[in-house]
Amino acid sequence: MLSQTVIQDVITAALATGGDFAEVFVEDRFTNNLALQGGKIESSLSGRDYGIGIRVFKGLQSVYAYTTDGSKEGLLKAAGNAAQAISGEKIIQPAQLQKEIIPAAHHISLNPREVEKLRKVDVMKKAYEIAKNYHSSIQQVTVRYFDEEQNVLIANSEGKFVEDRRVRSRLAIQSIAAEGNQMQPGFYGPGAHKGFEFMENMNLEHYANEASRIAVTMLGADPCPSGKLPVIIDNEFGGVIFHEACGHGLEATSVAKENSVFANRIGEKVASDVVTYIDDGTIANEWGSITIDDEGEKARKNVLIENGILKGYLIDKFGGRRMGMESTGSGRRQSYRFAPTSRMTNTYIANGKSTPEEIVSNTEYGIYTKYMGGGQVNTTTGDYNFAVMEAYLVKNGKIGKPLKGATLIGNGPKTLQLVDMVGNNLDHGAGMCGSQSGSIPVNVGQPMIRVSEMTVGGTKGGE
Amino acid sequence: MNLQEFKEKLFQLGGQNGFTDMELYYEREEKFACELFKGEIDSYDTSEVFGTSFRGLYEGKMGYAFTEKLDEESLSFLIENAKENSQFIENEVQEEIFAGSEKYEAGNYYSSSLAGVTIAEKINLLKEIEKHIYAYDERVTGTDYFMLRSVETERVLLNSKGLNLSEKNNHTGIYVSVIVKQGDQVKNGEYSKFTRDFSILNPEEIARHAVEEALSQLNARSAESKNYPVLLRNDAAGALLQTYIPVFSAENTQKGQSALKGKTGESIAVASLNIVDDPFLEEGLLSSNFDSEGVATARKDIVKDGRLITLMHNRKTAQKDGVESTGNAYKASYKGALTVAPTNLYVNPTDQSYDELVSSLSEGIIITELSGLHSGANTVSGDFSIAANGYYVKDGKVQNAVNQMTIAGNFYELLNNIEAIGSDLEFSLGFMATGYIGSPSLLIRELAVTVE
Repeated sequence: MLSQTVIQDVITAALATGGDFAEVFVEDRFTNNLALQGGKIESSLSGRDYGIGIRVFKGLQSVYAYTTDGSKEGLLKAAGNAAQAISGEKIIQPAQLQKEIIPAAHHISLNPREVEKLRKVDVMKKAYEIAKNYHSSIQQVTVRYFDEEQNVLIANSEGKFVEDRRVRSRLAIQSIAAEGNQMQPGFYGPGAHKGFEFMENMNLEHYANEASRIAVTMLGADPCPSGKLPVIIDNEFGGVIFHEACGHGLEATSVAKENSVFANRIGEKVASDVVTYIDDGTIANEWGSITIDDEGEKARKNVLIENGILKGYLIDKFGGRRMGMESTGSGRRQSYRFAPTSRMTNTYIANGKSTPEEIVSNTEYGIYTKYMGGGQVNTTTGDYNFAVMEAYLVKNGKIGKPLKGATLIGNGPKTLQLVDMVGNNLDHGAGMCGSQSGSIPVNVGQPMIRVSEMTVGGTKGGE
Repeated sequence: MNLQEFKEKLFQLGGQNGFTDMELYYEREEKFACELFKGEIDSYDTSEVFGTSFRGLYEGKMGYAFTEKLDEESLSFLIENAKENSQFIENEVQEEIFAGSEKYEAGNYYSSSLAGVTIAEKINLLKEIEKHIYAYDERVTGTDYFMLRSVETERVLLNSKGLNLSEKNNHTGIYVSVIVKQGDQVKNGEYSKFTRDFSILNPEEIARHAVEEALSQLNARSAESKNYPVLLRNDAAGALLQTYIPVFSAENTQKGQSALKGKTGESIAVASLNIVDDPFLEEGLLSSNFDSEGVATARKDIVKDGRLITLMHNRKTAQKDGVESTGNAYKASYKGALTVAPTNLYVNPTDQSYDELVSSLSEGIIITELSGLHSGANTVSGDFSIAANGYYVKDGKVQNAVNQMTIAGNFYELLNNIEAIGSDLEFSLGFMATGYIGSPSLLIRELAVTVE
């Protein structure tokens, strides 16, 4: 992508004013975005992103400069702009770059760049037909297709010089069911760190039908009651609750400045005994998986909470400096336009001992959430909220009528203490996570769990 | 390769490959962002980037592709991909390359005095603000984030029909979230301010806003969960409006994703509600003389006296509905496909102050902050159930902050349940936002409130 000598010169220039660490991140990314609406391809967009990010540290000061100008002059100018923020004399000589070959941890069989777009369109049309024909009340189906090949080169003043190719594919199906003035959406968006083989081998029937089933079910749903209730959260994308309630609070971004409720609590009990929480970027071909992170560190499996005890954080290089801790392979960014920071990969609650049937039959009255929507957390207070896409009332140990418009709010640390049952059906779901270093692909996951009490906000009012 | 050279080679290659009409859209952005944490520069970002997007008519169909690299490889990449992309487009209405509007306003939305503010002056301002933040109250323990960001954008639109438009725009924003501790309570308060006039950024005032916001969240209590009259403070009202702005886009009515389909000319809100989209606001961050298709922009009433006057259109949606484009064609960046979005859109203020609205409540809830809007609000049905922070009001006086709440209702119904509109119009550039959206405080007759 760029020659080793040019990069060596750029790193040297970046350190001219007293920086103690410099890094160059080069990105060349090819993407395809297609959208189908009402059975017809509405847009098809192909693009190439190209740019370079240069980062310099001096102690606890971090400087970042990025540019689309890949010429030697352009890079030296950007390095100069970064160096300008630091005032002092040169203190270190960068190490000689040593090219390291890291074998790709996630095998890609069919690079989407080599697949005709017409085949991509065929998958979308098939998904559309299945979703549209699910039920007569399905009024509108939107199918989005996405693939990318991201080529990165990461080099730094410690002599690191690595390259990586990340290929990802995702299909997102949104169905809208309508009747009279009522409209309800249903959504399913499977994705993987795979090429076009992902589209060819996926259970399209299942995903497309689910998107429509959710919409149709919610169309006939009652308004959700509000109040403090036991809540059963089903597996897979249900894990978004811990992503919000706990994952973000374990990132160095908030822990390093001691703003997080989890700061300085390693070894303490922060969750109920049944909770083990893991971030694992090494799971083969998952949507949130990586071979190396965006600082060139190898992906790893990080146990964050084990049987309720806080074991570790998600740490990037810069956060690690303030914390006096090593990187955990968690430095990630959306693109060269963002300095990396500590982020999640595939994060999940590990399997427990209960079966889903036991959890439901042990719940006298509460809410069962089958699919979650998105959410948000305030990492300072730990307060989180998220929307429920598909919910049901649980009465006398049985799942009853569907409920719409449910929102769950609560406080992360408190909720972690209130998890009283964990199922044995762990699964993962794909999502996009937005934070300081942009929007990145992550998986959330969990088996079915039960929280003994959560605040449910519904449109129906109190019961 | 420079832009002119790239364009000429590209249009030539396009012509050879069977493209009839072609357009090149170019965007260049310079950005400076700096974060301060306890007197030290915590992050410092500087950037200069550009990108171009090509679209062209091939056998009567429009194909798109973009690139951030102006080299030989990109020329063939753009042409090959745009050609392939055009082939399976099946829209009923075909897009066209636009020859240009008759007349364009000549508003200037680039301040050279702002461009002349040095990095040292910007960092000094942050240091001044930070001093005031820590001096204001001893309960301040830190900041979640505290940054300044300056952005300068240049847009150029060139096409094979001879259109050649360009425009520059700049602004600076301050973003702060202050943390306060009292006993075992930890709360934060956010404040942001955007401007094209650096001299109006008053360090003391910015610090006071942010710290007061955080302190006001302390000693929160629970409240009965029930239906209350709700006063959406200007920033919260703006955030809700921001979320529901897509329902005023013709693209969404045409896709069946907005309930305002066929409602043009009809009453959709209380008679006191007026919503305006004004691309010529002097202080508007999204002020502009031409939209992303090269159509001249125009000031327009979206809602007047409660009646829906017009939806927002680009050329494609206008053609479908048999009307004229309203100059609201929008691209999130040169990368995006063409869509529809507002410029500077706001609810017209009246003469009732925020304090008057508060004192008019015998019992109610003031909402100061909404979160999770991207997931808790259904733009199709209008239903929302959103996490919120705010205060409890009794006998016209703020009593205390309230624990985390959710407010639930329906946007379309809310438009008809606005009891009063304040005088305190405030604009904000939301997170992941399209449009620079403003609202005064809005008093809503009733919303379902659930308190943690």
